[in-house]
Amino acid sequence: MAVGNLVKRLQDIMRKDAGINGDAQRIEQMVWMFFLKVYDAAEEDWELDAMDKGETFKSIIPDPLRWRNWAPSRDEEGRLKSDFLTVQALLDFINDKLFRVLKGEDATDGSIKGIQVTRDTARHQAVVRDVFQEVNQYMKNGVLLRQMIDEIDAVDLLDSAESHAFGDMYETLLKDLQAAGNAGEFYTPRPLTDFTVQHLDPRLGETMGDLAAGTGGFIISTLRYLEPQKKTANDEELFQRSVMGQEWKPFPYLLGVTNIMLHGIKDPMLFHMDSLGKNMSEYQEDGKLDTIAMNPPYGGATDSATKMNFKQEYRSSETADLFMVLIMQRLARGGRAGVVVPDGFLFGTDGAKLAIKKRLLTDFNLHTVIRLPGSVFAPYTSIATNILFFNNERAEGAPEGYATASTWFYRMDMPEGYKHFNKTHPILNSHFEVVNAWWADRQVLEEGEKSRSFTPQELMDMGCNLDQCKFPKEEEIVLRPEELLRQYHEERTALDAKIDAQLEEIEHLLGFKIKEA
Amino acid sequence: MNAQQLKNSILQEAIEGRLVPQDPSDEPASVLLEKIRAEKKRLVKEGKLKKKDLEETPISEEEKPFEIPESWEWVRFGTITINRDKERIPLSVNERSKLEKKYDYYGASGIIDKVDRYLFDKPLLLIGEDGANLVNRSTPIAFIAKGEYWVNNHAHVLDYYHEDLMQYMCWYINGISLVNYVTGTAQPKMNQEKMNSILVALPPLAEQHRIVAKIEKLLPKVEEYGKAQEALDKLNSELPERLKKSILQEAITGRLVPQDPNDEPASVLLDKIRQEKKKLVKEGKLKKKDLEETPISEEKKPFDIPESWVWCRFGNIVKTYTGKTPERGNADYWNKEGLPWVSISDMRQGETIMTTKEHISAKAAQKCFGNQISLKGSLIMSFKLTVGRTSVLGIDAYHNEAIITINTMSDPFKYTRNYFLHILPVIANWGDTKDAIKGKTLNSKSIYNLLIPLPPYKEQRRIVAKLEQLLTEIDKLKA
Repeated sequence: MAVGNLVKRLQDIMRKDAGINGDAQRIEQMVWMFFLKVYDAAEEDWELDAMDKGETFKSIIPDPLRWRNWAPSRDEEGRLKSDFLTVQALLDFINDKLFRVLKGEDATDGSIKGIQVTRDTARHQAVVRDVFQEVNQYMKNGVLLRQMIDEIDAVDLLDSAESHAFGDMYETLLKDLQAAGNAGEFYTPRPLTDFTVQHLDPRLGETMGDLAAGTGGFIISTLRYLEPQKKTANDEELFQRSVMGQEWKPFPYLLGVTNIMLHGIKDPMLFHMDSLGKNMSEYQEDGKLDTIAMNPPYGGATDSATKMNFKQEYRSSETADLFMVLIMQRLARGGRAGVVVPDGFLFGTDGAKLAIKKRLLTDFNLHTVIRLPGSVFAPYTSIATNILFFNNERAEGAPEGYATASTWFYRMDMPEGYKHFNKTHPILNSHFEVVNAWWADRQVLEEGEKSRSFTPQELMDMGCNLDQCKFPKEEEIVLRPEELLRQYHEERTALDAKIDAQLEEIEHLLGFKIKEA
Repeated sequence: MNAQQLKNSILQEAIEGRLVPQDPSDEPASVLLEKIRAEKKRLVKEGKLKKKDLEETPISEEEKPFEIPESWEWVRFGTITINRDKERIPLSVNERSKLEKKYDYYGASGIIDKVDRYLFDKPLLLIGEDGANLVNRSTPIAFIAKGEYWVNNHAHVLDYYHEDLMQYMCWYINGISLVNYVTGTAQPKMNQEKMNSILVALPPLAEQHRIVAKIEKLLPKVEEYGKAQEALDKLNSELPERLKKSILQEAITGRLVPQDPNDEPASVLLDKIRQEKKKLVKEGKLKKKDLEETPISEEKKPFDIPESWVWCRFGNIVKTYTGKTPERGNADYWNKEGLPWVSISDMRQGETIMTTKEHISAKAAQKCFGNQISLKGSLIMSFKLTVGRTSVLGIDAYHNEAIITINTMSDPFKYTRNYFLHILPVIANWGDTKDAIKGKTLNSKSIYNLLIPLPPYKEQRRIVAKLEQLLTEIDKLKA
């Protein structure tokens, strides 16, 4: 069964259903079904593990609600089952039983009790409720819903090739979600995550973390990087415990969990929590991470309660700043970090930013800053971003009072033939080849305009203005009408989606809802 | 809607008791009020407050601005507040400059300096006493000071029975209109008496805590929304201009309308113009050297144009006249009822001029212009300071020396005149970016040498028609 155009087939089916409007809803509709299917495959693994240990496996999902029991319309021999659910019976089952129970509420007819999640519930079980509290079932047509389920069920996740293809397809789905304008801020383009992880060189036996994991991009890149290092059964054990993540928002959390499970981790260490919600002083040595690769959220205003978790001098209203402090706190001795930050962090001189940047130079080895072109995150946003690479170590030759010996800046220019990235021409892995070439053999380029290094003292003298090797001021390019309008529509759709999402959250908090689903 | 409106709406809900549901198990506000009164009595006994600080002015029914829930109480600010204004000490800039900068020094709008000692060491509510901020509210008037700090005479220092109450009051004061309590226009001020009279809708203490928690959850989201809204507004406001520029670019590169192979190519038009010029030389209206044409080399051609088009120099295909300004000091030259005289301020891009602000006398017309008036229907263009603004004369008129009259040739239907009306603004401004001519001024030489992409005569009409349709639609976007 071709996984390749699975998404297209599903979208074609959904287009016929009156209850679904728009790409974002289509994706949400697919995602919970994928989750249940993926979770079912993971449970098969857990069952085998339990048998090996002589234990019995108990799923948190009540038997009649487990995917393997209600979803397939054919039995193992491919014959149509006599009692498979379809049309209204299927809709009723899903709306009144499946969703309610997995959310933690009792079934409408009371026949099944809602699943219970307590502090002691294992995370890989609790995740089911976390997921179902956040998703919606939009479809109104039971026949079409049955077609969807059949298509998804046909994927054989125990076959590694199909599972692999499914994982890739899922990643593409996440990319499309970003383009649909919804949840765009939870997705970092894969070439960017691959590049960052590559230069951190994670090793089996170490732990990698992403404290604002979103849909799991950096984690997936790390898993892909570690794959070839696996040689023994013990390596597989290490692999399973190699990555962890934290994500606050429920929808990307659900996407991230499914994503990580699809990439071979049976019990994802992805925690649904507010990374900034714990006091910095509470973090112990043993919880620290060997590598951290992440793209923290920007521009969120933080409330006074959150700020209190940080020392006075680091208290900033900008979430990106607070995440930097968190990262510095959680990076183990000898650990390596790669963090995507906005231009504002580089040139900002308010109290907190200054204190944070100073600490990067005095306590860490901030060895590289890569300036990324503005349209890397298009169409979601055109904000200018950068990758900061720093290690928790004292660099050789670092001057007195500093842990950094020198910081290299490199401006990554748009590739030949590209005016800017967009949905149809996104950034690719191949675009980073020239950056990798420079990385291995660092030279001053364009008389220091494109690439050069600074000593920490020089940076301090400039007030920690890390806005070096910046992009030249753009001459106004007059785009052709089609390109201009396309860009306009992309940006407007993204902004509209952002506004709608924010307003929905606000409405939810106020206790009413304006937009009909 | 912008973020500020949303924020105000939310705060209004909070103040009126509609942001969070009432919980019947909460201790009602009346109980809180008694506790506060008891506390204040105790402070009088300790000598920290005076007996008159306990006085309460009653509130009449008509004074109450809105309905409040059962469990709430209307009170005056002074009743529930413990005033510590008398502990404030102002320090002059001079005095402060000599002090070690250790502790925060607060003024009406927040921390304005640092000094070496502190007056207060617990969280207290500070409310600006004077300053323009009381009226324009550009920054919060009420804020909670923490740690160890000093306060001058420009902010009231207020303590409360409970931290939750203090937090709630901070939001309350920042949320309501203080117009009735602030006096003075040039020097706005809110003194103790006025401040104490502020009407406060007091919720139960537990509810106050819930309200504040809700507000703090909402406001970051409102800010997020605000940023996105602003970005959207900017995107939308920039679109019409960008679209115009884009369409004009299409026009001059020959991509706005399709070429028609049946059209007489532009080279034919060019020849007709040459013929007309030869005729004018014979009639003595043109000089022989006006027939000279400097060829345009390939590299100089700014971009590719369709086969049927041709690159030419502006000066070779039009006749231009620069205007004059008659001596300002000479009253004989200026006459309100005289002849129209155009300056740039009379011109609106792409429109027809029907009136002028200034008029010259017949004498000036004769002496300065030799009676050479620009005729109705002529195209004029500005080329100093504002470069490339074009209009059509709807009346016979004279004009100043920052404007030229452009007479097209071989242009019986005015297609070329209309084409130029639209595209000269783009072409005239190439000088700036392409050849880096500093300053916004052209001269007769650079005007003569402007490179024009010339379409076939009939195509010019189609281009203009399309442009005008599009420009009308784009203007609707602006509304």
